[in-house]
Amino acid sequence: MTREPVQFMSHHTKVEYKLPAPSLLSIESAKQLAAGRVVGHKCPECGKVYVPARGYCPLCVIETTAAHEVEVQPRGIVTTFSVITPLQYQGQEEHDDYAQATILLAGTDSTISMQRLDGIPIDDVRTGMRVEAVWLPESERSASPEGAARGFGLGRAITGWKLTGEPDAPVEEYGEHIL
Amino acid sequence: MATWTLEFPYRRSVGPVIGAFLAGLRDQQVIGAKTAGGRVLVPPLEYDPDTGEDIAEMVEVGSAGVVERFAWVAEPMRTHPLDRPFAWALVRLDGADTALVHALDAGSPDACSKGMRVQIRWADERVGHVNDIACFEPEPQK
Repeated sequence: MTREPVQFMSHHTKVEYKLPAPSLLSIESAKQLAAGRVVGHKCPECGKVYVPARGYCPLCVIETTAAHEVEVQPRGIVTTFSVITPLQYQGQEEHDDYAQATILLAGTDSTISMQRLDGIPIDDVRTGMRVEAVWLPESERSASPEGAARGFGLGRAITGWKLTGEPDAPVEEYGEHIL
Repeated sequence: MATWTLEFPYRRSVGPVIGAFLAGLRDQQVIGAKTAGGRVLVPPLEYDPDTGEDIAEMVEVGSAGVVERFAWVAEPMRTHPLDRPFAWALVRLDGADTALVHALDAGSPDACSKGMRVQIRWADERVGHVNDIACFEPEPQK
């Protein structure tokens, strides 16, 4: 048989999810972030501050509500980081190595993870760095909860974190929060 | 309710044996693999499952055959090859010793039976993919 053989076969796998309606907490969080505010809940019993708000204090096992809302400053300390080397698979949008960090926001007792570090050379990334938020221009922010916190981050209104220029934090300030 | 879609656009290399099979489908021919022992495998494998030896040659088989087993699908899913109730059938094509699984468009489960004769309904546009077989359909009575 002399016909041209088939060498490749496309295999398109697609999974479509229907997500449940976003929680009131994530709707509120998205609205606040679009307005440039980072808010969380402060436990009325132990005083710990959780960002994003979870609607409960996991230690005291009590519900927290809008009445416990507090605003925190969009600055914090890098507690952990990973340097990612993007594999160039089809559809990859990243080309250069980049760092993602877990950050302990000032005045809070919980960390936010998967945060992009901005403008900091990979070799200089270290725990204890003091960083502040780099915001998406206000006109480009969306108050839609789809882009908001998925439980570990802050959504898309903050594109990354840059150095504040202050001296690094001593490990005592964040050591409890290193994973 | 929000929706979210996850996609994996794979491009798979198929190798010389499956490649020949798919190229055959494109030309409305079914190509099987013949083992050293003389068995004809459709769909083809690159080796004889009994001995592990390479297959001896590629051979053409018929485009009609016999239903060995079937399972009725009363409510097709969006990704199924047919948008109406159908059967998944194991079809042993004429000249083959093994069976190929594909959709059988028979209308109702009562119209399906073990041993019934079926034939390939070819897709209008064929690209070298197993979906070049649109489905099987009952062979017209002679």
